[in-house]
Amino acid sequence: MDAKRFAALAQAYGGDPRRWPEDERAAAEAFASSEAGQAISQHAGKLDTLLDGYRVRHPSKALSGSILRAADRHLVQRRRQRVWWFGLGLAGIGLAGAIAGLALVTVVTPEAQSEHYVLDANATAFGDVGPEAENGEESL
Amino acid sequence: MSADPDEELVRRVGAGDPAAVQTLVARKLPRILSLAARMLGDAAEAEDVAQETFVRIWRHASSWRRGNARFDTWIHRVTLNLCYDRLRRRREWVTDDLPDVADPSPLPDAGEETQRIEQALQGIAPRQREAIVLVYYQEMSNIEAAAAMEISVDALESLLSRGRRALQMILARDGVHD
Repeated sequence: MDAKRFAALAQAYGGDPRRWPEDERAAAEAFASSEAGQAISQHAGKLDTLLDGYRVRHPSKALSGSILRAADRHLVQRRRQRVWWFGLGLAGIGLAGAIAGLALVTVVTPEAQSEHYVLDANATAFGDVGPEAENGEESL
Repeated sequence: MSADPDEELVRRVGAGDPAAVQTLVARKLPRILSLAARMLGDAAEAEDVAQETFVRIWRHASSWRRGNARFDTWIHRVTLNLCYDRLRRRREWVTDDLPDVADPSPLPDAGEETQRIEQALQGIAPRQREAIVLVYYQEMSNIEAAAAMEISVDALESLLSRGRRALQMILARDGVHD
């Protein structure tokens, strides 16, 4: 640490070592005890003292209360949204189950015979009476 | 990367824990309000910015994940963006409507010297003011402040030097600093 770097640090961060960069703090503190270091720190310290005097108000209870009320509204709203999404999710699962069940029933169940079965012109309730059937009977 | 001291608290806020909400407000409101007050130089506007910052916190708490920045750095960035929105609007408003005379009325409860420091801070470039406020008043390290400003540490140091020099000049002109 030389006087030039020390002056640059003091000009940027002020005279309080707590604000100096951590990796240079030890070297800067060692230099601060030198005559040159003391003069630079003293000059930077004048502005620090003035800046210290600028204080701002603490948050009022009214402001904190207003922020907490806004938080409550957000939390309630989010809880409602969660319930709504949960309900929607359940409905979705139910619907998906119904569709899957319907698809399964369609695949597994054999095709039902049509009630309007049109009888072949050669068919009877006792079997086929066409010419081939007759031949068959004759050959017996 | 070191652990984020706010991470667990933010997770609880995101889960809707009312006690965590109260703790977060108690922990962060003074920091957010002082940052906005010093950036804007207006207590009422600073309160509005603080409320808007918390609305954003409530909105993002459940989805907030630590990326490169800590939660404290993130809320500083949010607050600063809201402050810049207002400073921009103020500039447009001044350009359009206002006469060139600044309001000379003293701030309530403010001493003369405090008022001069406040006016001097408002008189320097906003980025220089931002650097000074983050390092000096918000007590951020150079690395944290640079992260909040999204600049390098060297650039931060340059802004700090120029800002302090500008402040010294303004205060010397006003007879407050030699």
